[in-house]
Amino acid sequence: MLVDTKLQTSGRKTATAGARPSARRSTAARRPEGAADAQSARVEAATPEPKTEKRLIALKQNHLLGMQGLAAEEITLILDTARSFAEVSTRSIKKVPTLRGRTIVNFFMEPSTRTRSSFEIAEKRLSADALNFSPGASSVVKGESLLDTARNLEAMAPDMIVIRHKSSGAPHFLARHCRAHIINAGDGWHEHPTQALLDAFTIREKKGKLKGLRVAIIGDLMHSRVLRSNIFLLKTMGADVVACAPPTLTPVELSRLGVQVTWRIDEALEGADVVMMLRIQRERQKSGAFPSAREYYNLYGLTVERARRARTDAIIMHPGPMNRGVEIDSAVADGPYSVILDQVTNGVAVRMAVLYLLAGGTLGELAD
Amino acid sequence: MASLLIKGGRVIDPATGTDALLDLLVVDGRIAERRPARPGKGASGERGVVPAGTKVLEAAGHWVCPGFVDMHVHLREPGQEHKESVETGTRAAAAGGFTSIACMPNTEPWNDGLSVTEYIVAEARRKGAVNVFPIGCVSKGGRGEELAEIGDMARSGAVAVSDDGQPVANTYLLRMAMEYTKIFGIPLIDHCEDRDLSAGGAMHEGYVSTMLGLQGIPAAAEEVAVAADLAVAQLTQGRLHVAHLSTRGSLEKVRQAKREGLRVTCEVTPHHLVLTDQAVADSDFDPNTKMNPPLRGEQDRQALIEGLRDGTIDAVASDHAPHHTDEKLQEFDEAPFGIIGLETSVPLIMDRFVRQGVITPARFVELMSVNPARILGLRKGTLAVGADADVTIIDPELERKVDVAQFRSKSRNSPFHGWALRGWPVATVVAGQLVHELRAAATR
Repeated sequence: MLVDTKLQTSGRKTATAGARPSARRSTAARRPEGAADAQSARVEAATPEPKTEKRLIALKQNHLLGMQGLAAEEITLILDTARSFAEVSTRSIKKVPTLRGRTIVNFFMEPSTRTRSSFEIAEKRLSADALNFSPGASSVVKGESLLDTARNLEAMAPDMIVIRHKSSGAPHFLARHCRAHIINAGDGWHEHPTQALLDAFTIREKKGKLKGLRVAIIGDLMHSRVLRSNIFLLKTMGADVVACAPPTLTPVELSRLGVQVTWRIDEALEGADVVMMLRIQRERQKSGAFPSAREYYNLYGLTVERARRARTDAIIMHPGPMNRGVEIDSAVADGPYSVILDQVTNGVAVRMAVLYLLAGGTLGELAD
Repeated sequence: MASLLIKGGRVIDPATGTDALLDLLVVDGRIAERRPARPGKGASGERGVVPAGTKVLEAAGHWVCPGFVDMHVHLREPGQEHKESVETGTRAAAAGGFTSIACMPNTEPWNDGLSVTEYIVAEARRKGAVNVFPIGCVSKGGRGEELAEIGDMARSGAVAVSDDGQPVANTYLLRMAMEYTKIFGIPLIDHCEDRDLSAGGAMHEGYVSTMLGLQGIPAAAEEVAVAADLAVAQLTQGRLHVAHLSTRGSLEKVRQAKREGLRVTCEVTPHHLVLTDQAVADSDFDPNTKMNPPLRGEQDRQALIEGLRDGTIDAVASDHAPHHTDEKLQEFDEAPFGIIGLETSVPLIMDRFVRQGVITPARFVELMSVNPARILGLRKGTLAVGADADVTIIDPELERKVDVAQFRSKSRNSPFHGWALRGWPVATVVAGQLVHELRAAATR
């Protein structure tokens, strides 16, 4: 799903590589200083280690359409690269010239605050020229088709298009019809790969690993792209996933994705290292998935009491936006185990890494 | 006196129990004579017995079958001629080996009365390359409220009634329709779908829809409706034909109903026989894998193949549903349901089932010609002496690639583009006239 092999073999890959900013000449500028943290092998600029294959690893695909099909080493590469970029956001001047001269279109066909802002900040911190394009301000509301919109965007020669769309598969559609690199910022109920990556980044920062962790994902499984991307990523990285929702919000045959499925929240929370809550949209009540927000909270809301079933050092996550008092109690959301705001912070670093790697960057260059 | 000699082919005519090398002499649009082929004899041997000026269609190595009947086609005329027309749809039919097609009433306006039925019949007479048999509405405007003027339509040529595209959801109306159609001896063809269960769905509900995050259409949406229809058929003893049956559960219900002696028949499409919901994932959300009923799971597909073998399935019908490229080139959930099938139906069934020995050539001809003709009450489906000279000639060895650019249809919405298939229709004869021929060198 992720690796578009047809396009990968096209001339575009070469063009991208050719357009890559010269790493050698602007070492200081291109490398986020002190990017490597204590857990990774610190590479001093003055004494560069011999380059290894591993250090020079680049992303194999032209697009980030989803987590499905992405190999463990690619995920690790993105997370390692994100760690290098995280430091940039702590500086007083939060900017590196890495993507100077690149044009990135943020094409958001669905309302989004967090993800769009996060991408925009990531682009700006990489010195790319970012264009925000959303339906309120566009001709899409005048009945223009996605294909025509895509062709018009393409005519402006963007290097990348970040797309958020209500239809599952819309980024794949764009990838078929555009030369630009496509980044899926959420498509329908399908995938939200950068969310899963920032979740994984956050878990790794807090737990030091992904493999072997028990991750409970609780909430509206049916309509959640965050769920699907997280399952693909976490299973690839060797975590155990238990998914929990009322049966009315559980997609059929979910267990075939390699996860444990239950409608008993206590069972899901038992022994969890990570508890990931998913948003419950109140509109789902109208479609009959549950009788009231009150009853949902009583049965599935994450309270301090319930959270005690998780491991004592468990972290609490939520992709936002939260419905306090529906899927999560404020005492948990704002409590000591909550990493919800870390997720937002890490989102910027992860998206910087994705943009950088898709533009043809390598981790080796960053470390030079 | 126009005459045509179809020479030296393997005549497969289950209606007369024939499977033999025969010469067929066609005079004035009817089968005039059948006689053993004499491969050794040249033109001089024939001259004494065939009328002067007889055209000869060499069919050696080919299968000569009673003209194929596609009983489920959307011609889109009147009203949606940018998708298809009577003229282009019938040309597609001729190219695909069909000599007769039945067209569904969901046009604009719906074919729910005399005027549209007569228009289609007249247009087919003017421009049609093959026989066109209109299917009229069950209800006025396909709205499922009141019966349409079925008597008027039957009198002007309608061979069945259906609100296809829409199920007949109101079981009271369904009962009335199954009773009322008895007067005219025509079947009620139902698109079985419980719209409460299928609402919002874009593909089959199962593992693949879960993986792709697309809203599913459960198998039960069809099965609930099939069960309801069969109960009403039992009640009324009317004639029910289940359109594009797609699930194992539906098939089992029809099988059981047939055992109980109900007057029920069913059809299946080639795409439900050769593709599954996995095609949606494999094609990265290609809207040409979106149709209704949706491509089902592998277990369903295997059950349908078994139904093809054991006779539970009466007919193969394409559900030829043309859509303009602009309409299909959209987000998956926004794109309309449906694919075209007239020009791929025969080679798909030949390649995947007949050549593989899953069904015999005679069973194939039953599914493509004998049974659909019988269900619709057409005097077709045989090559007996005196029958209409509608003939489908197939080269069982010919291998070609499906190329949508070559289609006669106005539309291109096929998931089979680029497929290499073996066993193609090479000549189509309607009322003794050659309306399509793949290789010009085959006649002299």
